[in-house]
Parts: sequence; structure tokens; C-alpha cells
Amino acid sequence: MDNNPPPNPSPWLRLFRRNPNATTTRLRRRQATVSFFTRRLSQIIVALLAVGYFWLLILPSPRLGRGTYIDENALQPGQVNTYWNWGDVHAADVYLEQLELLRDSNATSHQRAQFLMNEFAKLGLSPATQKYSFQSSSNHGSINGANAYAILASPRGPRNEAMVISASWLSRIGEGDGTLNLRGVSTVLALARFLKNYSLWAKDIVFVIGDGYLDGMHAWLNAYHGVKQSNLEAEPLELTSGVIWTALNIDYPGHSFSHLGLFFEGLNGRLPNQDLMNSVQHIARYTGQVPVTVYDHLEWRDPSAQPSELTFLPSPLCHHPEIKEFAYRAKNILRHIGYQARGRASGVHGLYHQFRIDAVTVFAVPAIGPHGFHALGRIVESSLRTMNNLLERLHASFFFFILTTPDQFMKIGSYLPSAILISVAMMFRGLRCWVDAGWRPDHPHSKKGDHSPRIPVWSRRSRPVLHVFAMMLMTHLCGVVLFLIVRSSFFLYRQKLLTPLIVLAVSLVPFVVPKIYYPFHQGVAPAWLLLKALNLCFASTVISTITVLNFSLAALLAVALGLPLLLAQPSKSTPLSWFKYILYTLLASGWLFLFQEVRDAIWQWEILSVWFAPFFCLVYTPLVIQAGIVCILPHS
Amino acid sequence: MSSKPLAEIKLSAASCAIIISRVACAFLGLSGVLKHDQLLSTSLSSYSQLKEGVFLFRNGLDPYSGGNFRHSPLLLALFSVILPESRTSASLIWTSFDLTGAWALISIWKARQNVGATSKDALINASYLLNPYVFLPTLALSSSTLQNTLTLLSIKFAAEGRASPSLFLLSILLHVDLSTILLLLPILLLLITDPHSHLASPHPLTANLRRTIPLFGKYILYTSILAIASTIITGGVQWIPQTWGATLTLPDLKPNPGMWWYFFTEIFDHFRPFFLMVFSVHLLIYVVPICIKFQYDPLYATFLLLGVLGTFKAYPTLSDPGLFLSTLAVFPEVFSYLRHPIVTALLHLHAALLMPLFNHLWLNTGTGNANFFYASTLVFACANGAALIDAIWAGMRIAIGREVQNYVVVQE
Repeated sequence: MDNNPPPNPSPWLRLFRRNPNATTTRLRRRQATVSFFTRRLSQIIVALLAVGYFWLLILPSPRLGRGTYIDENALQPGQVNTYWNWGDVHAADVYLEQLELLRDSNATSHQRAQFLMNEFAKLGLSPATQKYSFQSSSNHGSINGANAYAILASPRGPRNEAMVISASWLSRIGEGDGTLNLRGVSTVLALARFLKNYSLWAKDIVFVIGDGYLDGMHAWLNAYHGVKQSNLEAEPLELTSGVIWTALNIDYPGHSFSHLGLFFEGLNGRLPNQDLMNSVQHIARYTGQVPVTVYDHLEWRDPSAQPSELTFLPSPLCHHPEIKEFAYRAKNILRHIGYQARGRASGVHGLYHQFRIDAVTVFAVPAIGPHGFHALGRIVESSLRTMNNLLERLHASFFFFILTTPDQFMKIGSYLPSAILISVAMMFRGLRCWVDAGWRPDHPHSKKGDHSPRIPVWSRRSRPVLHVFAMMLMTHLCGVVLFLIVRSSFFLYRQKLLTPLIVLAVSLVPFVVPKIYYPFHQGVAPAWLLLKALNLCFASTVISTITVLNFSLAALLAVALGLPLLLAQPSKSTPLSWFKYILYTLLASGWLFLFQEVRDAIWQWEILSVWFAPFFCLVYTPLVIQAGIVCILPHS
Repeated sequence: MSSKPLAEIKLSAASCAIIISRVACAFLGLSGVLKHDQLLSTSLSSYSQLKEGVFLFRNGLDPYSGGNFRHSPLLLALFSVILPESRTSASLIWTSFDLTGAWALISIWKARQNVGATSKDALINASYLLNPYVFLPTLALSSSTLQNTLTLLSIKFAAEGRASPSLFLLSILLHVDLSTILLLLPILLLLITDPHSHLASPHPLTANLRRTIPLFGKYILYTSILAIASTIITGGVQWIPQTWGATLTLPDLKPNPGMWWYFFTEIFDHFRPFFLMVFSVHLLIYVVPICIKFQYDPLYATFLLLGVLGTFKAYPTLSDPGLFLSTLAVFPEVFSYLRHPIVTALLHLHAALLMPLFNHLWLNTGTGNANFFYASTLVFACANGAALIDAIWAGMRIAIGREVQNYVVVQE
């Protein structure tokens, strides 16, 4: 800090001796940078939040997407002649009649599986059935059923790789509420009859008719991969084939179809490789001549689409093509988030992903025409030929995307920053609180007549981190208890009665937890500030980590936790603190009143190991409770 | 009068609770799940490979000829005598290693503070036994747990001034893991000085450096005796390239949380020897500067070198950085001088969540690739580096004392 000019050294020496003021200059520069940053930190946080939320809002914008393409050159979709013809359509119709007879005679699962097995056997394939039963606390008992499957041995391969064509007995329409997928099943049977005649298969083809909606296929896949699940009793499979690489699930609930819908979300937010979807889409469009949609949402340009839902907008806006396009994409993205954030599979294909099998459901969107078995058969045949071309598993990190329209998608770089920016804002705020917690301003008493601005003297205060950690740990343990209660059958039987009690219990947690000893005095940081700092830092870490695993869940958390946690703060007036506390309690446990949603989430956890329910109880709820605690802790 | 014993009872109850919970963890049977986790055991410390080696050894086959077994012959001999028959008993043996390690850490603390039982004992206990980086490798039955225990015991004896056991344990440690040779110099210094904290009052080394020569001789003697014993056990010297050689030539490129594997999977073969040399020598260059700078407090120098090992060694598991972080608890005087503890802690939190996640994305779900996991190990390396730099900073900064308003301490 010596400012005296040094005696003029020779230029040679100057090369080796540093300028004695260099340290001071560097120090000043650093201080200026730090103070520039810290003085504007609030603005930076607001800017980050604004950009993050705005980015989330403009995700549907056509400007952020790009056209789909096929990355894997081996696939060569749509490059073959298809041989599926009207004779095969007739076979499918005959199968359909027999299935309808079965349906009308109220055949049991076992009778159905037996019938299917016989049909497969008549075709000369090796067929088998598999019985299974699930025990679940949320479903008041067990689910039983029987699957039927058959294997077409590859005529020209070593039989260590396989692809699957499957259909579930129940259609995905209404998520398995009872609509039958008879035409899907008869397509599979007719395909088995047809595909057997060709010798060009390099992989085994496995035909599976799963009973129920998700349960049958889940039992079959678990048995195929030798996975034991404590609440599932499934017969071991008599026949097995090689490693399954790809699978197509056929869902054809209507009489005819106008569009082919693609469903792709798997369990726990997993997505299939985009190449498979793009190939099927390409084949449907150019080989099958069938328009493709995402889910069953028809594009707004489509003449058969529903009239615009944007009636709340003034009419010039409502008919603006850009706005219509935005609304269409927003609808797709919201549906995607609905499946992915909750870890739900949007169809039977979703069960495959956990075993590293890329699978999609081709869904025949019910309509009065013009397409039927003829188009569907050709599409599946050509898709199988494409899958048959694969020399190695689909890879190339083509797993992170949001499909906005059938032929446009968003790359990871165009959607990931939105959630990350919000989590960075939370992190900055948390670090700010941490720094604030470490310093105490002392305002020196000014003398009479002294009007100079009073500069506070800063003094350090201690930050008892362990005590706050104990508080946070307590809330997370409460989350564990909450989860154990919610998943118990005792609770699920009396859900409507017990839910208010549990919400009440959750609301009491913020009063119990601060009873953990905390040294409140002058030289110690206020508990709320420290708790808020660590709470924000932890929440931010969770959000940014989840983004790569399940972006939709991260986005949901960024929306649900971002502003609420940032705004948590005790206020000087008691009623306001109480009001905030009630809001946070509702945010933390209000979801318990979504009775059906809770039951579904527990069912998904018990049967399909979807970790959304435990995650919500163990991470989300405690984080919001901590914000509630922040609000009712003493202000200083 | 009555409150103090009560507080002590409370604390020893806390220690007991921690120990009981750790023993209970051993009965959970998690080893089957965690055994193959790449973060928790490497090919040099994996339990399955140890078992395989012991099996071959018992059946009269040379385990080192297969190129798969890389544990020291000493461990081979030890576990062919006491190889646990069931997983639970193995977990219990491994937990007892950890408990010994925690006991050694408390002894180091007592030696440093020059006191008997203190109120902080339970905290030190918790810092070792409840550190997830330390107890997860134990549950996975990784032999790095044994390494940690040997390290702590060796430092403990050195801190208590008992040269022979300390040097003997250090030479066993050298046989288990070659890179622990880094610890030799600070432990020799520790043996000729005292373990008390002199961080606040630096002074040149007063002890006579010549006194390290007989100690060094002792170390060489123990090491050669153990080397001869190893040769007798295996009936040849083929163990040397398989154990010590593996640390230097990196034959097994299975992913681990360290920095070496990805670099050497990517590098062209003709650069390999050169970079192997660079990476190995890079570890060594820290020893002398740290020992010179902290000549007045060799225990702190030992601690810093544990950090260097945890960050840069060839086949690390989570327990190596875990040892460094747990040992920090012995130096409470530097806590208030740490510059960015929250940033380091958050980096560690991110790395601890990202590493298993990206490992899973790459190897289980197949949606990611090796670069994902490598990126997360880089975050981990940053976290370890930040902790190390901060510890060095705080160790030196404490000598200058509290900051006076309007004055700043800078590093030239």
C-alpha cells in the first residue's frame, strides 16, 4: 500500500521488478468489480428471473425449434417396397371378428390369452402365455391378467437381437379406462401372419399382446429382463429371444383413423431416441401417405381440426397464423410436460425405456376415415424394415428434445437455459442471504448537529450452520413420514377423511422444527436469514441437477419454487407473517386434496416405480415448508 | 458441577448413537447394490476382485498372472486368513475399519489440542463416520476404507511421537497404494516436531533435520521387509507391476471419480508414457513446497497433502477426498479464515448429485455418454481443488490475524 514513487530503475530491471503500485491497482480493480456486482445483484437476480420465466413462456415459439432429421444413417427409412396388401387386410378383419366374438362373450383374460396363443400357433410361430398378478395398496386388492406372445425366429440372424411389436388389450384412450384396442391386437396378429413369409429379418420379431393397459406389458418386460418386483407375481417366460433394441406399440381403438399420433414419453421422464420417432414419422408420411401428429392433437392447418380454442382472444388475433401456430405448439408442450414432469408413460411404449429399449406408440387417431388396416400395416412393415437395418443401438445423444410439432423439435440448448437461469437466480439470492447473515451493521450514534451521512460499521456475526442443517433435516424427515403415510393403504382407504388432518399436521411442522435449539442473540445471524440462504441454495441445486434427468419436472419446480422461495421473508406485522405462512402451507401440502392424482401417483410408484411421488414428498414439500418456517421465525 | 458431566454424557451418547447407526447400516445389506458402483471402488480397491484373487490364491493359482487382480499381496494374505464368509460379516469388518479410523482421528485431535476428552469429540466422530464420501465406499466394501484407516492410524502415531508404529503403518500403506509416498516427508517432519497448532505463529523449523535420517532408514527397512514378505507370499516379484505398476502405468481405464481415466482413454498411444510421467510427477511436486511453507506445522502439511491425493491421484474413490474433508474437522482454528466455504460446499453438493446421475445416464439408461460423467468428475475436481486452495489460504492467512477495517490482505 506504499504510494511513494520508486527510484527510477533501469528498463532492464523493470522487466523483472513489478510496479510496486501493481498490488494496489489490482486490489482497487477487484474491489470495483466486486462492488459493481454486489450493488447490482438485485437487478441481476431480477433480470435472470425475468429472462428465465420469459424463456419458459416462449418455448412454443416456432423460432426456437428446428426441423427433425435422421441422425443414424443405417436406418434408411422409407427406402423399401412394402408388400402388405388387401389380402392381409382381410386377414386382419377376420381376426377382428373373432376378437369381437371374444369380447361379446365376456371372455376372461386367460381365455383370451389362450385364444391368441392358439392363433399364433396356427401360424407356425412358437407361442406362449404368461399369467401375472400385482398387489397394490391403492387399488384395493390385486390386478390379475394373462399375456400372450410369440416369437418369429430370425431366418438370417444369430438370434441375439430382437424387436418387438406389441399391443395392449386396453387402448391408451382414457388411460386404460376400458376402451378396447381390438384393431391394434388384430393388426399384430395379421402382421405375425404376414411377416412370417419373408426371410429378410436379421433380428427376431417378438409379438406381444399385453393384458390390461400398462400392467400386462410391465409384467412381461420384467419377466423378460429377469427383474424381481416384490408386489408382482409373474410366471417366468417359456420362450425368450435376444436383446430387444427397438419396439413399436400399436394402438388402434377406433373404427378408422385420419392421422397417426406419436406418443413417446416413458416412465420417469425418459424419452426414446428421436431417430426412431423421426423414422416412423417419415415412413407414415411417405410410405403410408398418412398425416402424422404429435399425440392426438391435430394441427391447426388441418381441415379436420377442431375450430380454434383461442376464442377468448379478439378475432383478428385469434385467426393470426402465428398465434395459432404458437397455441398449437404450446398445447403439445403442455401435454409433454404433463406426462414427463409426473414421470408418467404416455402409453405402453413407456415401459420399455427403463430397459434401454427405444419404443414409441403409433396411435391411430379415431375418425370416420379414410385410413385403416391397409395404411397401418404398410407403415409398421416399413418401420420394421428400418429397425431391421440397425447395426448397433441407437445412440448419439438424441434423447434430449421437446417435440413441438411432428416435424419440428427443440434441441437441449434451446430449452435448458430457461430452468437453469431461474435456478442461478435462486443461487445468487441464496449466496446474498449467506453473506448478509455473516455481517451486522452497527449504526454509530451521531452527535448533535452532525448532519454527515452515517456510515454503518460492519461487524462479523457467527453463522450456526449446524443448527439450521438440523432444522432442514427435520423437515425432510417429516417428508419421509408424510410419504409413508400417504402410501399406506390405511390412508388410501380413508383418503377424503384423513387428508385435512394430514394437511393440518403438515401445517404444524413449522412450529415444531424451530424448537431445535438456536442461539438467538446479537452476535449471531438471524435464523431465518441463514435458513433462507441454505434453502435457496439447495433448491437451486436440485432444480439444476434435475434438468438433465427430467426437464419438465425441473421447469415445474422452477415455476413452483422459484418465486415463492425467493420471496419468503418474515414481516414486521404478525398477521402478514401468518398470512404468508398459511400460503406456504397450502403450497406445500395443498396437492393432497387432488385425491385422484395422489392415488394415481402412489399406484405408479408401487407398480411402475415412478419416483415422482416420493420425490414430491421428500424434496418439494420440505423445501416449501422451510420457506414457511422462514416466514414465522423472528425478524431479527 | 453437575451440568458438565451431563453434557459429556450427552456427547458420548451422541457418539454412541453415531456408532450404532453405522453398525446398523452394515446390516442393511447394501453392499450387493453398491459393490459395482464406479464412484465407490476402482479396480485397485474393488471387493469382488479381492475375493477373486483370494479364491485363486487359495486354490494355488497365481492371482497376479491374470492381469485382473491389483491388490497388494499383504491384503491377499490378510484376507485369505480372515476372508469374511458372508456379506454381513464383511460389512461389519469394513465398518470396524471405519470405527478405528474415527478413533484415530479423535486421537489426532487430542494430540493436536494436547487435551483429554473434549466436547468436540462427538463432532469429530460425526465428521468421519457420517461423511457420505467415507461411509458409502465402506458399504461398497472398497479397500480404500482400509487405506483411510491406515493413513489415519499412521498420522495418529506420528502425532503422538511414536515413530515405529507410524512408519510401519506408512510402509503398509505404501504397499496398498503407491501414491501415499507423498505423506512420507510431512510425517517424518511431524515425528521430529510436535503436532500442536503453530499456524498462527509461523517460525522456521527448529528441530534438527538430521533426525529424520534414521527415521527414513526405518521406513526403508520396513518397506523392504514388507516387500520381501510380499515376494515370499506370492512366490515371485510378479506382484510389483500389478500393484505398484498399475498406479504408474494406468492399465485399467474403468471410469472413476478421478482425473486420469478420461485423459488416458482419449490420448494417442505414443504420448502415453510422457503423460503418465507428467501425471505421476505432478503429484510429487506438491510435497516439498507444502512442507517448506508449513514447516512449523507438519500436521497441517500432512492434511494438505491428503487433499492433493484426493484430488489428483491415479485411482481415487470418493473416500480419498472424503478423508481430506473429514480431517478438516481437526483444524477448527482455520474455519473462520476460509475464504469461500459455501462455494466449496455447493460445488461438492453439485458434484455429489451429478456424478451418480451422469454415471447412470451414461451406463444404465444410455441417454448420455462418457463426456457427461467426465464433466461431472471435473466439477468434483473443481470442488476438491477449491477446498484444497481454501485450506492452504486459511492456513497461511491465520498468521496475519483479524482483518482491520480499511486494510486488505492480498497474496503477492
